Amino acid sequence: MSDEKPIIYQTLEEMPEYVISEGSMLWNKTGSWRYLRPRYLNRTPPCNQGCPAGNDVEGFIHLLEKGEPDRALQLILEENPLPAVCGRVCYHPCESACNRSHFDDPIAIHTLERIAGDQALPPMPTEQTRPASGKTVAIIGSGPSGLTAAYHLARMGHQPTVYEALAEPGGLLRYGIPEYRLPKVILKREIDHIISQGVEIICNQKVGSNIPWSDLEPFDSVYLSLGVHQTRQLGIPAENADGVLTGLDFLHSISCGHSPDLGENTIIIGGGNSAIDSARCAVRLGSRVLVFYHRSRREMPAFAEEVSEALKEGVNINFLTQPVKILTENNRVTGIQLRSTKLGSPDESGRRRPEPIPNSEFSVNADTIIKAIGETGDIDWLPPEIQRKNGRIAINMFGQTSQKNIFAGGDVALSEHNVAIAIGSGKTAACAIDAFLHDVDFEAVHAELTIGEKGTISVSRYLKQGEAHKKQLESGKVVSFEELNLNYFKKTARQKIKTLDIVQRLGSFDEVNRGLSPESAKSEAKRCFHCGVCNQCDNCYIFCPDIAILKNSSDAKEYQINMDYCKGCGICINECPRAAMVMEEEQ
Amino acid sequence: MKKILMGNHAASWGVKLSRVKMIAAYPITPQTHIVEELSEMCGDGRLDAKFLKVESEHSAMASVIASETAGVRSFTASSSNGLALMHELLHWAAGARLPIVMVNVNRALSPGWNIWADQGDSLAQRDTGWIQIYAEDNQEVLDSVIQGYRISEQVNLPVMICYDAFLLSHTYEPVDIPNQETVDEWLPPFEPENFLDPDNPKAFYGLVMPDNYMELRYRLQQAHEKAKTVITEVGQSFGNHFGRSYDILETIHCEDAETILITSSSITSPARLLIEKQRKEGRKIGLLKMRMFRPFPTEAVQQILRSKKKAVVIDRNCSWGKGGIFADEIKGAIANLTDAPQVYSFIAGLGGKSITPALIEDIVNQAEESNKPQPASVWMGLKPLN
Repeated sequence: MSDEKPIIYQTLEEMPEYVISEGSMLWNKTGSWRYLRPRYLNRTPPCNQGCPAGNDVEGFIHLLEKGEPDRALQLILEENPLPAVCGRVCYHPCESACNRSHFDDPIAIHTLERIAGDQALPPMPTEQTRPASGKTVAIIGSGPSGLTAAYHLARMGHQPTVYEALAEPGGLLRYGIPEYRLPKVILKREIDHIISQGVEIICNQKVGSNIPWSDLEPFDSVYLSLGVHQTRQLGIPAENADGVLTGLDFLHSISCGHSPDLGENTIIIGGGNSAIDSARCAVRLGSRVLVFYHRSRREMPAFAEEVSEALKEGVNINFLTQPVKILTENNRVTGIQLRSTKLGSPDESGRRRPEPIPNSEFSVNADTIIKAIGETGDIDWLPPEIQRKNGRIAINMFGQTSQKNIFAGGDVALSEHNVAIAIGSGKTAACAIDAFLHDVDFEAVHAELTIGEKGTISVSRYLKQGEAHKKQLESGKVVSFEELNLNYFKKTARQKIKTLDIVQRLGSFDEVNRGLSPESAKSEAKRCFHCGVCNQCDNCYIFCPDIAILKNSSDAKEYQINMDYCKGCGICINECPRAAMVMEEEQ
Repeated sequence: MKKILMGNHAASWGVKLSRVKMIAAYPITPQTHIVEELSEMCGDGRLDAKFLKVESEHSAMASVIASETAGVRSFTASSSNGLALMHELLHWAAGARLPIVMVNVNRALSPGWNIWADQGDSLAQRDTGWIQIYAEDNQEVLDSVIQGYRISEQVNLPVMICYDAFLLSHTYEPVDIPNQETVDEWLPPFEPENFLDPDNPKAFYGLVMPDNYMELRYRLQQAHEKAKTVITEVGQSFGNHFGRSYDILETIHCEDAETILITSSSITSPARLLIEKQRKEGRKIGLLKMRMFRPFPTEAVQQILRSKKKAVVIDRNCSWGKGGIFADEIKGAIANLTDAPQVYSFIAGLGGKSITPALIEDIVNQAEESNKPQPASVWMGLKPLN
């Protein structure tokens, strides 16, 4: 208690004019009443966990919102060297994970990444984070996985050399994804930036063919990111007749600037991304396009957005149909016989298996047939001591093969084929290779690097450097929608993304998706909840009834809690819109 | 700068020019335009103030009590049932001696639902400790809001500026808007001696035992006594600076008059016309406009009414079970004069019924033709009995 005695007023004059105590209540340390203690704890936003490439999504959106796209790009480049590419071709699982989708519509993260990737080009050089190690790494294949591994290894101080079998780097990005989805100039810019970090890319050199495997022996480590280039066979008669193409060959040819003569009617067999890419290219070449897929739309592996764009462009997709035989005249395609299917029990992928319906055969005329039912890797030439599994290179969760200095990633080693996952595998491999080169037990540090609970790792956490590391997310537990205080958010429509008119698309390979204007992007960024990450909204500071939350100045980045007076009432926790505080039992 | 403004926007301009830093309000007809305009001023940056949307008038008053306690010049506005909902906190604002300025647009209380002019709402708050000023036209609305801050911050009492629904609130008149520099020269920033400050903590509004409560309330009454002088001084100082003087009341032709017509708010304007007309007819009549109702200008009213024959009071209000409130207050003020006039009390214009010059003339004639006032207020302008 206070030593001060109560004041007894003797005259009117000495009394205050109104009800005020001149003494303070500071002596009353209400913190002693506390049995629960609030703590600021940044947690993992669902988008960050949802990004297979391990981007700090919430972080770059925060910077875009603040009007600092340069720093947003820097932040992405700490993890992912291909933001302009990903901002175009990634199927954005981050958006599926976004908590905002339970409220109104998810943030257009994909497009925001593109905005960050497209500005300030060429990107500002990120500092090489470590001194030169003198270690060399051979990387086979310059697709997204190989490029990502090379980029991070160079920034870690090693000397990566990338061998590319084709004339230009980029792998599937260069030769598989059509110009209307990913302009070559965008890809080239990002590859040039990767090269500028100290990466050597040698093109037209196919390891195992004009470069013998033994040439790789001097390298301290090898990363196999070969990709998958062999189209699966249909297993039906006449499937190699004149006028039958593979999706990959067709897309390759278009990527090289050719316009193959498809004739009037083109039939595509398959339901994956190469099938839909092939269909959309064929439409642009003026052919009438029919796609046949043996399951239903639900089971289609192609990205849903690509499928709906294809439909808009006039591609006709027929589900539950499988090819029986190619019809020919003088070994030249004239059509195809197909039969209807129905869905049976699920297969090992969990999708329902198509079962042929007897006597349902029918024929369709065609001038060109494009087979695109999936690709496999060509790995037969690899030394036998590198183990295989299910037709892929066998790796552990860090990308290491049965040979401890040889690592593998991307499509050739993974069952799921997409750019973001390939980038993620390149990052894991870069860190694992670095640990191997420095004789560090990667398994011991791996858990600290994973973003959320899905296993994608953060390079900046591994290096303990950079912005992403500074804003270290302390808890891997992902923030759920139910944990947010929605009173502080109002429903706001997702910004509409401009696309090229259908008329303009046909007959041209101009980019379809036109992105957002900088103003719309900023508005879109402002919709972000910042789940689990304190963005200094001041709610805790404003609501604390004991003025126990302190900030030193209006631009203070962090708050302190004055435990002398914090009663542990929990109002700050309750009023935090984004679940970036926790309440813990007093010890 | 002269602009054609509705009364409500004249109030908004007064608030803006007073550099108010915090506005909390809940909409109610016929007040809503005031805070709507202020929210736009805050929104587009013309006014650097925090605009707080609240869920009721009770919260609006609670919020400005809080912000004024934190040393921030604050404003709110309300009307009728909204003002009634604030009642408890009106006592608090005055007891806490906070210089809040509020506009109340005088509107009838319900039922029956009525949104038109009637002073019953603010007069029902007579005993809450607020200064009450009744404005006659839109210029006076704007000027009174600015004066309101200077008055309230000198005497530490909240000020309610009142004016008639629709007759002023929604009616456009030419208003001279002083420029900001001129107002800044005259109205200093609000810098209270004591305010909520984490760096210098003090406790406010605590328990006061019987040994001190009455003394504090005596201080409140003293502050009202002081306010009478302050309001006069502020009105004169305003006149020196802006060219428009104000006082606690206004007299027209009262010196040699035998009958004094007493009005408040917008009723004064048609009354002015009538007085001029009757003066031309040679009648010894004067007009007393009651601008300040709380504190009540007892001494000034005594001075004016001493040795007059008749005082005729028009009330757009009624204290149920008694009668016209201004009339009653005037009777109270002159009760101990040996040469007090007769007081004739008339009630007119409730719920927005028109008070025309003809009706005012009826009232004056009826009073002049009587020998003795009725014991109760006389209701004017009612429909015929049958």
